[in-house]
Amino acid sequence: MLWLTVLYDPECGLCRRAHEWLAEQTKLIDLNFVPCASEEARHRYPQLNHDLTKKDLTVIGDNGAVYFGPKAWLMVLWALTRYREWSYRLAAPELLPTTKRVVSLISQTRYQISRATGLTR
Amino acid sequence: MTIPISTYLIYLAISIALTIWVGRTLHKNGRVFLVDVFHGNETLADSVNHLLVVGFYLINFGYVSLALKLGYLVETPQGSIEALSFKIGMVLLVLGGMHLFNVFVFNRMRRRANPQHHPPVAPDEFTPIQQQEA
Repeated sequence: MLWLTVLYDPECGLCRRAHEWLAEQTKLIDLNFVPCASEEARHRYPQLNHDLTKKDLTVIGDNGAVYFGPKAWLMVLWALTRYREWSYRLAAPELLPTTKRVVSLISQTRYQISRATGLTR
Repeated sequence: MTIPISTYLIYLAISIALTIWVGRTLHKNGRVFLVDVFHGNETLADSVNHLLVVGFYLINFGYVSLALKLGYLVETPQGSIEALSFKIGMVLLVLGGMHLFNVFVFNRMRRRANPQHHPPVAPDEFTPIQQQEA
């Protein structure tokens, strides 16, 4: 895999902040950021369920592999030089359920977190 | 030769021999790891290996030298053996700690240099990608 497309929610402050942080990290594979359910996203992936991508972070590989939610987060970590090891650790069978629970929780409350931390613009 | 002097000399002889033995082991077996870390660049691997071993010798000989002083007078052969066993035990523990730390560093360098390539999780589905116009 040479690059990943990240479909992020442009309306959430936390996601924008995460996007800025990711842009600064050194990567093992490239990350392309595309706002979810946007014209560009629909054009690139005509058969994807775009309503689903609005609910949770979605990552798509250059081979068309789609990762939703917690799996998408792990894939983003996997793309980063410093955190590839962590992606395997968090995806290990012992930790995966916890990872999924924590990530889903953050994901569902992302607007509240953004508001509480003053990340809304 | 008095008992205290011979105790010190035996301590030095054993400690130095042990340090050199561990240093050589590290030098010989660490090379393979480093060649792998530097993707077959043997000159660089040898250089880093040498620098690491020099650091290892400096720290260990430094410790051996600092730990030489007994602080009390050894008068009997029995006292001498007890003092030696304590001092050499300490040297062995320090050597062991240093050695394991070095192995840990080598392994970490190797893992950093050769990241795994398969994704951590399986995809949920596959979707066709519209080829982008250049």
